[in-house]
Amino acid sequence: MKDSLFTVVRSLIFVVLALILCALVFQLAGYNAPVTLWAVLDGAFLRSGAIEQSLRWALPLFITAVGVGISFRAGFFNIGAQGQFYVGAISAAFAAEAVKGGPAFLVIPTLLLAGMLGGALWALWPGLLRLRSGTDEVITTLMGNFMAGLLLVYVTSGPLKDPSGSGQQASSRPLDPAYRISDSLGLSPTIIMIAVVVGILMWLLVNRTAFGVLASLAGRNGTMVEWQGARLWKLGLSSFLVSGALAGLAGTIEFMGPNGRIASGFLPAHGFTAILIALVANLSVLGTAVAAVFFGGLASAALYLPIMAGLPSAAIDIINAAIALFITAKSTFIDRVMRLGGPKT
Amino acid sequence: MSNSPQSALECRNVTVKFGDVTALSEVSASFAPGQIHAVVGQNGAGKTTFARVAAGLVQPTLGAVNVMGRDIRTGQVSESRAAGVELVHQSFALPPSFTVAETMEFGATGKGGIYSRKGLAEKWRAHLAGLDVQTDLNRRIRDLPIETQQGIEIARALVTDARVLILDEPTAVLSPAGIDMLFARVRRLKERGVTVILILHKIREVLGIADTVTVLRGGRKVEGPLPVAEVSGERLANLIVGEAVAKTLDRHDRDALVGTKAPAHEDTDQPVPAAGPAILSMKAVSTRPDSGGIALDGIDLEIRPGEIVGIAGVEGNGQKTLVRAISALADLEGGSINLAGQDVTRQPLAVRRRIGLRIIPFERNVEGLSLTSSLWQNWSARELLQGSLLKSIRPAAIRDACDRALKAWSVHYNNAGQRAGSLSGGNAQKVILAREIDPDAKLIIAAQPTRGLDIGATAFVWQALRQARDRGAAILLISSDLDELFDISDRVVVMLSGRLNGEFHAPFDIGLVGAAMTGAAAGASA
Repeated sequence: MKDSLFTVVRSLIFVVLALILCALVFQLAGYNAPVTLWAVLDGAFLRSGAIEQSLRWALPLFITAVGVGISFRAGFFNIGAQGQFYVGAISAAFAAEAVKGGPAFLVIPTLLLAGMLGGALWALWPGLLRLRSGTDEVITTLMGNFMAGLLLVYVTSGPLKDPSGSGQQASSRPLDPAYRISDSLGLSPTIIMIAVVVGILMWLLVNRTAFGVLASLAGRNGTMVEWQGARLWKLGLSSFLVSGALAGLAGTIEFMGPNGRIASGFLPAHGFTAILIALVANLSVLGTAVAAVFFGGLASAALYLPIMAGLPSAAIDIINAAIALFITAKSTFIDRVMRLGGPKT
Repeated sequence: MSNSPQSALECRNVTVKFGDVTALSEVSASFAPGQIHAVVGQNGAGKTTFARVAAGLVQPTLGAVNVMGRDIRTGQVSESRAAGVELVHQSFALPPSFTVAETMEFGATGKGGIYSRKGLAEKWRAHLAGLDVQTDLNRRIRDLPIETQQGIEIARALVTDARVLILDEPTAVLSPAGIDMLFARVRRLKERGVTVILILHKIREVLGIADTVTVLRGGRKVEGPLPVAEVSGERLANLIVGEAVAKTLDRHDRDALVGTKAPAHEDTDQPVPAAGPAILSMKAVSTRPDSGGIALDGIDLEIRPGEIVGIAGVEGNGQKTLVRAISALADLEGGSINLAGQDVTRQPLAVRRRIGLRIIPFERNVEGLSLTSSLWQNWSARELLQGSLLKSIRPAAIRDACDRALKAWSVHYNNAGQRAGSLSGGNAQKVILAREIDPDAKLIIAAQPTRGLDIGATAFVWQALRQARDRGAAILLISSDLDELFDISDRVVVMLSGRLNGEFHAPFDIGLVGAAMTGAAAGASA
């Protein structure tokens, strides 16, 4: 446990380096760097209501990122969290139409389940393609993201279209308030509880089951596990499905909670931020929680930057990209140091 | 070479360190010109590092290298080459898709240009013939037998008038007949005035070919160069192993470990294999060829409890496919496999393991261990796979059990959480043994279980296999080292081109087994 927290802290150092680089860039672009950084910190955690706002973003990100971590551990690079997130939300929205009028205590779990199934389904086909014909899951899940994005456009401007909608974005009919699990601020006991349950279950799966150990071995050396008689596809596909289901769950939470509806192109970076979080956390569940709060903070600050520092909120995208760059560099950097450290024969 | 210097190659106080590891420590040796010199030692003694220093591939931390009376700059291949030192590596580096002539032209000179295949063949025919490499110069490297590939590798090294030729473990890949051919070739080089340094690890090879012998142990020079005529095999064996270790070894084991004489397995105190139904019974098993090796073609093999069956053969004759077939990892085309009385032909590895199949695989670091995972995870994988995937576990308890097991197998390690990749080869292999040799093991496949291990670890592995055998397990041992096979096998079967080519019982005749390995003699099967 200490180890995993230590890794996160070490990763966060690289994140801070990325922030410093961004500050330099902002300074060169004519903004006031110290003010910008302060605005990020202030918008994320300090100003009143900032923590709630950060958690609102952190919880769904945590759920998706834990799932991403599960598949990465097993050596399957599911980068389709974004698509699975969308398909989860879409599935829940369809389910909501189907069970309209039922009692809330039945409808809410049904919708959550539908969302998880949808997400898992969107992970199933790349998983099968990989296992059946060796198709690279990086490519298929990435393509799946675009397909899911287009599916969302179709659904919100077709079957689920809200005729009264007048905004620029096509969106679905709003969910009956009786089935909402939070108000539009997006932080509620239900969502917190879901995140906590997911966290505990996934921690147990990773650290306290044979599956966790074997999936981790398989992710590091599939050949060795095959020689032990394991069926790699079983480990791989189940990791893939868990990963998809959790992304779908996060999408459903966004639909049933803060958004109350699905709109074309909503939260377009959610899945990618989740991948970043999983990597920063070095795939540990506890680390993912810490990193999710951090990135939730960044998301919250994004809304605050234009007011405070006069920066467009897209500046947060630059910050995210810089962090991605540093984290990737970190892993190769550490790999190289390790290789130098241990000469063989 | 008119004013011949005292030595063709001389090393003075050569020390090589890789990080914390000292591979060579103050080695000084002088090799007289025009002779055949052997450098011997067990795995990890520093033989290859020594060769690589001489060839300029490794920059020594300290020390000097002198060729033909002239000091050369160390750590520079071009410098060593210019001085006339050439090294033929343990694993060949010939481009498989090139023809022989192309290999000679481009491998040797590195020049480009326009050429005709015929012209190239003409150009190199005489050179190859002069070195007694008989082959069609337009054949591709990958289609050639390993002996010929080695001949070409040597010929390539001799294109530029090399005066010192170093061969790193040239016999490791050869059949007994191939070794005879190599030695004949080396003797002819000597007649041409080339100084040859052979890195070897079998004493009888040293005694059979070399004029002098130099012994390395633990990175230090123990003795040499000594005239071979003045040392006995007995003394050499003790020099290689070290007096202290030599005392702890059984005489036959020691002889097998250092290859003192032609191996035979003359022990008479072997327990007679228990009569009883076979643990492994393969009938007419054929496979499709796969990435792992050539296809099996009608294998019939039975192993009874309490029996070690050795598979001899030049590498690449289907040994890997045999192991994969028994492990349910090969594509079976026909035949049946029976394990402890159950037909497992269509059963996956998980089922076979549940019946009692255990595998010490060929590739320790790929198939045997996940190097970046912890020891306890590696150790527990087999047992974890016996139960349901969602079975709850207590890592602390597994770590404790792992600690006990690793201690019982005398693994040197710090804690069960350390990465498997941080262990030495011998200790890594012991972790695999600790996992694969348990009381429920019925058939243990040991594929090259001692490759790369030093003498202590090798003897340990042999002991472990014998103990498992004495408990009634059936053991299938695959090795390319005939000394090892003959020393610990109760029966030896030869593999050639995916078929079994003869079965032999102790005392083994290296001539007959060797002939079966190359398919030279029919009627060897008993």
